[in-house]
Amino acid sequence: MRSPRSRFELACRIGAFALLGWLLGTSVMPTPGRRVARASQTDVEAKLAEWTRLPSSVALHGDFSTTPSAWAIDWLAALRHSGHAVTWSGSPPPVALTAEATADPRGSVRLSVAAPSDDRVSLRDDASVIDSVHVSNLGGSVTVPLLVGDVRANVLGQIAIASPPDSVPLKTIVVVGRAGWEGRFVVAALEERGWPVVARFAVAPNVDVTQGAGSLVLDTARVAAVVAIDTVVQRFGGAIARFVRSGGGLVLAGASSLAPAAAPLAPGAIGTRFRPAVLPRDTLDLGSTGFFPVTSLKPDAVPLERRTGGIAIAARRVGAGRVIQVGYDDSWRWRMAGAAGSENAHREWWSNLVSAVAYVPEPAHSAARTSLPSAPLALLVDRLGPSRASAPAGIGRAAVDRRLILAFIMILLIAEWASRRLRGLR
Amino acid sequence: MTDFVFATAQYESGDWDSAPLVPPNIIDTIAKYTEIAVAPTGITVPLSDPRMLRFPLLYMTGHLPVRFTDAERRNARKFVERGGLLFIDDHNHDIDGTFHKTATEEITRTFGKLSDLPNDHALYSAFFKFDGPPTTTHELNGWGDNLVHKHLQAVQRNGRIAVLYSSKDYSSEWNYHPESKRFLSVDNTRFAVNLVVYALTA
Repeated sequence: MRSPRSRFELACRIGAFALLGWLLGTSVMPTPGRRVARASQTDVEAKLAEWTRLPSSVALHGDFSTTPSAWAIDWLAALRHSGHAVTWSGSPPPVALTAEATADPRGSVRLSVAAPSDDRVSLRDDASVIDSVHVSNLGGSVTVPLLVGDVRANVLGQIAIASPPDSVPLKTIVVVGRAGWEGRFVVAALEERGWPVVARFAVAPNVDVTQGAGSLVLDTARVAAVVAIDTVVQRFGGAIARFVRSGGGLVLAGASSLAPAAAPLAPGAIGTRFRPAVLPRDTLDLGSTGFFPVTSLKPDAVPLERRTGGIAIAARRVGAGRVIQVGYDDSWRWRMAGAAGSENAHREWWSNLVSAVAYVPEPAHSAARTSLPSAPLALLVDRLGPSRASAPAGIGRAAVDRRLILAFIMILLIAEWASRRLRGLR
Repeated sequence: MTDFVFATAQYESGDWDSAPLVPPNIIDTIAKYTEIAVAPTGITVPLSDPRMLRFPLLYMTGHLPVRFTDAERRNARKFVERGGLLFIDDHNHDIDGTFHKTATEEITRTFGKLSDLPNDHALYSAFFKFDGPPTTTHELNGWGDNLVHKHLQAVQRNGRIAVLYSSKDYSSEWNYHPESKRFLSVDNTRFAVNLVVYALTA
């Protein structure tokens, strides 16, 4: 039977060790009920300096309807690494923007923006508003001839920024086919638009006519794309497949995909030529005199244009290169006998077609460019983790001061020790 | 791919059909020397009809004065601006003749000033090699100006021949039945191959 004094000493020992165990446990595992400092996207940047001076036991939480600036996200990430629990909540619009230089003699830039469907994205650069894009299927694209400074995409106040890319060095376009109006006017359209073109036309058995200065060796260091007017492309043999797989572009026009060297690369086969009725007085348009429909699409091929007679244009990737199959074989009629402006339209159409497949070297990224928040929500999630459904159940009271607990432990141990000494024990 | 169709331009003034055997002769020559898909018969297209734009190489000849109507001039100008090649040959081979004077005046008014085509132009090496425009037997036959013209003349657009003008009277030189070609030691229509190949490839 223990005496009351002995029970008191036992209680002091148990209390002291229990408090020590609690201190040890809370130092290893954060306490859920710690103090939380809060901010919204409007004042988070102003609070960062104050938050940096808070003890790491204070949790930090942001409530964001749009993402903070990139430097603020970086600062929050640094606080997280220093021991603060940093969380955020809210639903900023997911926006991403890229600016890519296209292979185009005019040096145009393709702006691709991803945003929630049905939202409207406004695009502007340092000079002025560029355009607005209504987003369908989560994305949209705009090609602009010139950018002044950085370009910004704004969706409901959420801004994504991209830098203008370096221009793409122009490489040669090789046009190959039999001597005929289609090849001749494809060359004219591309040259008038500023492309360096080398053409090789078969005129007679073993007689080819070569136009333009440049290399006919298919190599992405010199040639950006090949335009095959017909099956004469077979003369390149296996070189055409090697060229495409290494990143080169290929436009297969008319019946050129019948060439054994081109068939494995083509997005599909071709069917019987579709010949719509054309009255003598009709104004000619692209395809109004017929085309070869693209049939039996390969699984990775994408139809780009459909007409009454079938698919007129399809595309696919082959290795690092791109292939576009165009069913039209007499687009020159559109240029020569089309409505007013058809000459320019023909020129733009062929230039855009070639630009879509032309080889573009990988751009060199600088550190400054990658620091821009071209995808701000992705940056936020990458640095701070995903959004919480709600703010942490923080408590507004101050945390218990650990020095007081240590002092209390000391008191308990001294009381236990004094009690034992007073009753003659060591 | 559509066949190449040799087209002769019909204009309201003058005798546009003065060399009716030139088209079949040139078609025969194209088929003989090249693998260009050529339609077996030529076609005649009125310059006043917008359908003339469907034939990017047009042959035009005659002896009589040339005066385009407004529609002919409008279509011809559009034809050249869009990349067509108009080949005009003086069937008189006479620089003092009415065709030459009126045709060159009309060309200047419609397309711009003619200038001499250098004899090393790509036209002369497009298929067969020539040192310049081949001389015709009609240049020194006592008719016309009795001159051997050293150059063809041209109006160029974007570095290409848009209008080619000849005082050499190829219309007389080539105006015979293709069957008779076998009697020639050297085929005198070979320059027509260069003309067609140039039009189709340059």
